[in-house]
Amino acid sequence: MAQLSDTGTSEETPVIDELRDEIVAKLRSDIGDAVIDVHQIPGVDLWVRVSADAWRAAGEALRAQGFDYFCFLSAMDWMPSPFGTGENDPTDEVEDDPSAAEVRQGYAGGETRFQMLARVTDLRRHVSITLKADVPESPDGSMSIASWISVYAGANWHERETHEMFGINFDGHPDLRNMYLPGDFEGYPLRKDFPLLARLVKPWPGIVDVEPMPASDDDEGDDS
Amino acid sequence: MGLVDRGRLPAPLTKLFNIGRSYSMWVYQWGLACCAIEMGAAFGSPRYDVMRLGVIPLPASPRQADLVVVSGTVTDKMAPAVKRLYEQMPEPKYVISMGSCANCGGPYWDSYSVTKGVDQIIPVDVYVPGCPPRPEALLEGVVLLQQRIKHEDMGARWRGEGFKPIKRDSEPIVVGGGPIE
Amino acid sequence: MTMLSERQQLSYIAAQAADARLNVELETEGMTLNIGPQHPATHGTLRIIARLDGEQVIWAEPSAGYMHRGYEKLTEVRTFPQVTALINRIDWLGSFANEVPFILAAEQLMEIEAPPRAQHIRTILFELSRIANVSLFLGDLGVQMGAVTPVFMAFRDREYVLNLIEGATGGRFHPNFDRIGGLKDDLPKGWLDETRQVMKKLRNFCDEIEDLLFGNEIFQSRTRGIGVIPADVARQYGLSGANLRASGVDWDLRRDQKLPLAYDKVDFRVWTHPDGDSWARCWIRLQEVREATKIVDQLIETLPPGPVMTKVPRIIKVPEGEAWVSTENPLGEMGYYVVSKGGLGPFRVKIRSASFNNISITPWVLKGVYVPDIITILASLYFILGDIDR
Ligand code: SF4
Repeated sequence: MAQLSDTGTSEETPVIDELRDEIVAKLRSDIGDAVIDVHQIPGVDLWVRVSADAWRAAGEALRAQGFDYFCFLSAMDWMPSPFGTGENDPTDEVEDDPSAAEVRQGYAGGETRFQMLARVTDLRRHVSITLKADVPESPDGSMSIASWISVYAGANWHERETHEMFGINFDGHPDLRNMYLPGDFEGYPLRKDFPLLARLVKPWPGIVDVEPMPASDDDEGDDS
Repeated sequence: MGLVDRGRLPAPLTKLFNIGRSYSMWVYQWGLACCAIEMGAAFGSPRYDVMRLGVIPLPASPRQADLVVVSGTVTDKMAPAVKRLYEQMPEPKYVISMGSCANCGGPYWDSYSVTKGVDQIIPVDVYVPGCPPRPEALLEGVVLLQQRIKHEDMGARWRGEGFKPIKRDSEPIVVGGGPIE
Repeated sequence: MTMLSERQQLSYIAAQAADARLNVELETEGMTLNIGPQHPATHGTLRIIARLDGEQVIWAEPSAGYMHRGYEKLTEVRTFPQVTALINRIDWLGSFANEVPFILAAEQLMEIEAPPRAQHIRTILFELSRIANVSLFLGDLGVQMGAVTPVFMAFRDREYVLNLIEGATGGRFHPNFDRIGGLKDDLPKGWLDETRQVMKKLRNFCDEIEDLLFGNEIFQSRTRGIGVIPADVARQYGLSGANLRASGVDWDLRRDQKLPLAYDKVDFRVWTHPDGDSWARCWIRLQEVREATKIVDQLIETLPPGPVMTKVPRIIKVPEGEAWVSTENPLGEMGYYVVSKGGLGPFRVKIRSASFNNISITPWVLKGVYVPDIITILASLYFILGDIDR
């Protein structure tokens, strides 16, 4: 599990994390080149990106390694929201920063706008791993990836949720009905280009924190 | 009650009936989210004891209820069920909306799946603000509703005209901060 | 035993055959039972659709979504301090416990750590919200099986805990007290003494419930051996908390993970039960309330002095990165996968809530049970609607 390095003992924290190195080596030997990228914070957490074709194989390999506790499965949309974060100061000048609109993936890199995200845990070795995979969009805009139901039965609802929120299809999922929203709902809410209509109609009026503060308030942070 | 049905009831008699009605309200608990627990605390816990106000929180179905407390977030998926519930209740019926969510959407004012206020679907008599309101606040809401019922023209309610005060010029009850006799 | 005459035997066989025919007919038609969305026995608005064969469930599925409020989307348009006010309301019975993993994730990204006193108080409040949460479960358990008294007892004793939480944080329900870098305030005067007394009361409450409910024959016969979940199925579905431990898996994030909380300074026991049935799940929760009161007692004795807030900038910007922190919440493992792009608010927050996984096993576990057992199994799995639907 995520272990926060204690600031007091940071010198003792091993820079080489044998356990996680071993996991990655085993995974590499199982699914070969499908492991595209690995990001590791030694002693804290591990991210592995696999290719979309090997998504199910990666799950099976991890399960065989002892990662039999299914934590969650979801997806990510890396495109920055075209509507802003909603908390920017409306009086601020909007800077035209081209890099703000570019798709920038997080740990373990990536090439596509959408990425799968799943986390499984080994309860015996007390270690977890976050698995990622690029989900390429086909020309007609649909996306699909293999389902994990045969690997972890618990993935069923998570995949339904991901389908509903991101519009990603899961090959082999028996029943991708809507879970949360009424049947006639249009759009995929967790995609970044899904607008929150209430916010567009009337922006949040309560932005107080970003107003310029009086100079004397600079050291507000350290009150105890 | 032919007189009532025809909407012609002498004022003193109305008052008498109103007192009877306001102290024998059967309330249906329509608990939807966090506020439901505070409603449970107000209605079901020994500390607050709502029965001393003449409110009976026990009916098993909305068909026996005079009052429904909608407490919690009403989502768009839930909204039809709320409406159906309201339609099942017999007249005269009253609604207390409890919590910011039921009042106006509350913390989910910008959500894509939350109905911004239960009053978009059913008429509300008393709004209890808070997130969640304390059980005492709900009890005050109940008391205010009783005040309102006491000043209600029963005939108008039966004729389906909604709330009308008995005396044209009587002071309306201001809910939330209004005077309690 | 009386001997059956030939005629009786024949009529018995004929009746059996008629029953069988009827069953065959019933199976083709089936019967669909719809429980909910608002049903007294489902505390909250979970709707269960069950297809029955006689009295037996052949297929059941909860239909969630009546409480979907869109947290994950809303967190994207809030700043980090605002998010805590929102995520409080996911598991509304143990609100403070919801804030902690998110705050810890943000602190992990900012590479700061709360001072020891704040960590201690966080742990105390965390355990208090566990008590507030699970004590209501224990009371509610009776209601599901037709015993009304325990729920009054639970509401009565829960008020003491809520008073404590209110005394410390100002809110009975949704404290929103945790801050990035520490806590909003220190504890008020006299709070510790009161807490000690309340913990005694809560232990009494546990004893009462144990006598009244767990010792009750009806309760036992309705829960023992019902709804058995084996350990490997539990792990596959990602069950967590008491549900996992009741299947014999010894896994508790409080003990098995190193987080800046004060759990390593206290001595507590992680209870497991080999049976995996409804009874085991309820029993484990009862023990957990007891353990929680003991943890609080120990923490009160060792509360370190010092500030409750480190120095953080006035406008909180979290550096770019990804972090996952989960804690052992009253309902199970609650975690946040926080992605920050260096702005005022998170880029994406994936909320892994315990009830979602815990309830996703219902189609599996409800298969083949009898209709009255649906209620006890669901009650023993213990879910909170906001935690399923988010
Ligand atoms: S008003 Fe607040 S406490 Fe009540 S249901 Fe809404 S979020 Fe929950």
